[in-house]
Amino acid sequence: MTDDLPDTLPAIPSRRLVARVLRYMRPYAGWMAVSLALLLAMSLALNYLPVLIKDAIDAWIAAAGVPAADRIAGLTRDGLLYLALAAAAFAVRFGESLLTAWIGQRIVYDVRADVFRKTHALDLAFYDRTPVGRLMTRVTSDVEAVQRFVTEGVVGAMADLFLLAGVIGFMFVVHPRLAALVLAAMPPLFAALFWANQKLRRASRLIRERTSSLNALLQEQIAGMATIQLFNREARARARFGERAAVLRDAHFEEIRWFSIYWPVLEIAQAASIALVLAAGGLAFVRGDAAVTLGVLAAFLAYVRDFYRPLGALADKAGMLQQAMASAERLFDLLDTPVGIRDPAPALPTAPASPVGRGAIRFDHVWFAYIDDHWVLEDVDLDIRPGESVALVGATGSGKSTMAGLLSRFYDVRRGAIRVGGVDVRELPQRELRRRIGLVLQEPFVFSGTLAANIALADPSMSRSRIEEAARFVNAHRFIGRMPQGYDTVVGERGGSLSTGEKQLLALARVIASDPEVLVVLDEATANVDSETERLIQEAVHRMMRGRTSLVIAHRLSTIRDADRIVVLRRGRITAQGTHDELIATDPYYRHLYELLGVSSSVCRQEGTETQSK
Amino acid sequence: MSGPPRAVKKAPAIPVDFGAEVPDLEFFAAPGAERPVPQHRKLSEYVLEHRRDVGLSAACVVAVVLFQLAAPVVIRHTVDGLADGTLGRAGLAWDLALFLGLTLAGAALSLGMRALPLRLSHRVELDLRNDVFAHLASLDPAFYREVRTGDLMTRMASDIAMVRDYIGQGLLQGLRSVAVCVLAFGAMAVTSLKLTLVMVALFPPMILVFFLLIAVIRRRHESVQEQYAEISNYAQESFAGIRTVRGFAIEPLREAGFAALSRELIRRNISLGFVQNPLWPLFGLWFSLGVLGLLVFGGRMIVGGTLTLGELIQFQQYLLFMQWPMLAIGWTASLLQRGRASWRRIEEILARAPTIADGPGTDAALARVDGDIEFREVTVRAGGRALLDRVSLRIPRGSTVAVTGPTGSGKTLLVSLLPRLLDPTEGEVRIGGRDLRAYPLATLRAALGVAPQEPVLFSDTLEGNLTFGLDAPTHETALWASALAHLHDDAVALPQQYETFIGERGVTLSGGQRQRTAIGRAVARRPDYLILDDVLAAVDTQTEAAILEKLRPVLAGRTAILVSHRASTLRHADLLVVLEDGRITATGTHEELAARPGYYRDLVRMQELEAELEGRP
Repeated sequence: MTDDLPDTLPAIPSRRLVARVLRYMRPYAGWMAVSLALLLAMSLALNYLPVLIKDAIDAWIAAAGVPAADRIAGLTRDGLLYLALAAAAFAVRFGESLLTAWIGQRIVYDVRADVFRKTHALDLAFYDRTPVGRLMTRVTSDVEAVQRFVTEGVVGAMADLFLLAGVIGFMFVVHPRLAALVLAAMPPLFAALFWANQKLRRASRLIRERTSSLNALLQEQIAGMATIQLFNREARARARFGERAAVLRDAHFEEIRWFSIYWPVLEIAQAASIALVLAAGGLAFVRGDAAVTLGVLAAFLAYVRDFYRPLGALADKAGMLQQAMASAERLFDLLDTPVGIRDPAPALPTAPASPVGRGAIRFDHVWFAYIDDHWVLEDVDLDIRPGESVALVGATGSGKSTMAGLLSRFYDVRRGAIRVGGVDVRELPQRELRRRIGLVLQEPFVFSGTLAANIALADPSMSRSRIEEAARFVNAHRFIGRMPQGYDTVVGERGGSLSTGEKQLLALARVIASDPEVLVVLDEATANVDSETERLIQEAVHRMMRGRTSLVIAHRLSTIRDADRIVVLRRGRITAQGTHDELIATDPYYRHLYELLGVSSSVCRQEGTETQSK
Repeated sequence: MSGPPRAVKKAPAIPVDFGAEVPDLEFFAAPGAERPVPQHRKLSEYVLEHRRDVGLSAACVVAVVLFQLAAPVVIRHTVDGLADGTLGRAGLAWDLALFLGLTLAGAALSLGMRALPLRLSHRVELDLRNDVFAHLASLDPAFYREVRTGDLMTRMASDIAMVRDYIGQGLLQGLRSVAVCVLAFGAMAVTSLKLTLVMVALFPPMILVFFLLIAVIRRRHESVQEQYAEISNYAQESFAGIRTVRGFAIEPLREAGFAALSRELIRRNISLGFVQNPLWPLFGLWFSLGVLGLLVFGGRMIVGGTLTLGELIQFQQYLLFMQWPMLAIGWTASLLQRGRASWRRIEEILARAPTIADGPGTDAALARVDGDIEFREVTVRAGGRALLDRVSLRIPRGSTVAVTGPTGSGKTLLVSLLPRLLDPTEGEVRIGGRDLRAYPLATLRAALGVAPQEPVLFSDTLEGNLTFGLDAPTHETALWASALAHLHDDAVALPQQYETFIGERGVTLSGGQRQRTAIGRAVARRPDYLILDDVLAAVDTQTEAAILEKLRPVLAGRTAILVSHRASTLRHADLLVVLEDGRITATGTHEELAARPGYYRDLVRMQELEAELEGRP
């Protein structure tokens, strides 16, 4: 849990923040009004019950002069009335609680959907700097905190207030002087409860902090257990763990201390109020004050009990509110994150790709840097004709992958322009652009679900025959056929049971199934692919490139030789281009590169190229 | 739920994925081969260690309940006295003083009633936690490969907390419910047996309903948690696969999928609300039934002259007082169920025997590790595959051997055999003519200094990390090791030099700095056998050369094994070993292997080409 609450959080959160949370409640304002009306009705009904008791006692029990049969009938009637009223009140309370829960859930749904949508609109630069764990906290616990604020905080506090107001109102109706006495006892009690609550909250914050500190240590020690054992440090690890666990226990002890004080304080306060009521009421009764009957005393005994419950609950709400506001703040920060890469304004005519230019790619004097002016691409100018396949070659860090990222508009160029089918990529809606581009990533990402669904990623309505056709085209059909349920085999998170090679074949099928206008392949000879699968992948890539505009970030010699044109990239600049034979004959840098790729592929038959190039 | 006592906290949040109850994992069920199941303490033994507190708690509970039951008797006296006019001012004052006195005494003792069992439960929790951790520290890496950290974390955090609540709340609520049940009904029976029977009849159906509802609530709660986990996984997948999501322009699909999962969550939450929300209204209603009984039966008795108004009010107060302890019976029962399930999950860890530990084959007399290292026909098998296949190799004492080969060829596995992070499936590894398994584990490991490929550093100062392996760390040793590992310049550039905190909440070291810290940590022990497993991969060539230069005198007196991909590192070794696919395919000096076609020659050629490419202007 991210508990980055500063210690000195203002007790009253900023109005702007509250207003913004409340905005999520607006669509349900009508329902919330209904919920509040129900609460009010419930409070009235529940607080009328002691009045009923009072009447029953005064009219029937303490009325010796009335005939016995009438008294019994009257008591039965009052008893049934009591039950009926209570039943109604509790039915209303049940209905209200469901309604409130539903409202809370709807609001959570809206907030969560907004957050999720936002995360999918943010550019990759955001993802480069934000750990997934942090995003997860936003979507899960922060959203929950806001929901609790709405249901428990806003509605719950209202319920408590209504109950309290009801108790106080009825007490005054029944006997104003006694009511004033009970109220007089309130301020010191509320202060005491608030104080105990404060201590409890401090203790539970301490517990949270120490729990996460213990868990952090535990996680680290579990992760480093082999190291601990290698260095014979088991005893010290145990001691460290024991220390932190003991400190956590102490924090729990602190909480127990205040927790065990909390209830006695409440009980004593209650007893004091009861004693006060009995003293004043009893004296008045002894004096023969007609306004104080035994029924009144009994009713007040009930009111005093009902009085303290909402009071305690209210004192408890403040802490939750603070936490919810911290969560809301973080959520809104995320929602307010500016999106670096935006779609063109709808007013701008999104020129349909002219049939002539379909598939053409143009890098028009492109400059790009991830940070400041550390140029990764400098004045790259490249024209790819429709249907032409171009292989980009260069050493690690020469900017090859960046070119692929720019073409998909994961980042925007700093200078110059990139055009697909004659249209500047910035003038196309991103999704339209990316539908035209089939991207084969270096590390294929497999979603949990069936193999078929993974191939039909872009279009879930895709027919089975098309899926199979795509799989056949890229040599994936055979391995899928060997899976227990064929295309309907469910794979776990990140492709779980699949080998790296199989994942790559699946990714190829996925791309070809979406029939892209342009193909971008990040073609690495990946680690841990057996030679047979490696051959299948190569063959599939060649087949895919045939007749399709393709930009290949090439590492395999065969892919390079197969391309219509080879572009040599060196430190962000294009230094040569031509066919393989031309370049071998004319460009010594290319010859060098080519030999390196040859040797590497023999060295890393089973191994990632990156380990070699470090 | 707004009612249950406040100390019933949810299990502490742990940083792994939220919610999701841990399934019982298969590996835990897998018997620890033919090894005997280690004896661990029973839960009752942990509790009985504090039997004095248990007794005191029980005494407190009984006393508190007695005081609390006595107070309404005073009220009865007051009301009846007022009703029949026998109570004067003085009598009223006495009554009220008594009432307050009883309440105060009850309240004071209730401090102990709550604090004693809860404190006890936290003591047990601490003992348990320490014992489980100590057991974890004895388990070998094989265990940690099988288990996901998240699962262990859940067991260590939520399950132990659950057991703690099972003990603390179980003791508190259990004792209290029993005491209230017996004593309150006793007090009522003394006052009016007939009315008591009416009240007694009220409770069993209530407890039953509560118990049944709680079972349904738990089931639906779990289904809500599952849905949470689904949503969480879905979001995580989307975030992790964001490039694919964006690349295929399937944002709307993902959003729709997310919305569908969220809608299902609403449905499940509401269905939970249907059983959870009526809980408290239902009990209010039950209480109203009690009031009805009091008015109808009690009223009839008052009219008949067999009951007084004061007694009626006394009964009403008891009814209020008994509400929670009665409900707690159902709640405690469900707590006990969950507590036992959690304890079983913890026992599964405790029952797991370490596969690598000192045993009957250990020769305690072996206090020194000295001599040649010898691998004899060593095979390591896993999942039907031989990861190392009949490897035989002799490393003379004092020599430097370098191991190379493609990724996944078994290099790390080979060097892991020496500190016995795992044992060979077949064959044996010897030092000084004795099987490694004969050495006491601590003795063996004390003789080795290992710098692993992906070093784990700990949240501690840089110096603390460098001297991690020392029993008596000194600043001088830290400095010496740091200088050898070519780390000193980096160290003094850090904000607090050697006192700089490393790790998540401190400074993040670069990959190269981490590796050099790991080298320093290994060297600081001045081990007789030094194992450097590809630790120079993340440093540049010049740094590498500098480190090797500095290490040379250190290596001279020791046996060293270097795993590396770098020709520049490899060529310094006395002997080169090429490992491919679990087998040794070549051994020899740099000159010998560079002259022969094969992996090593290709490797050298590739790195020359790379160097030339980089070096060109």
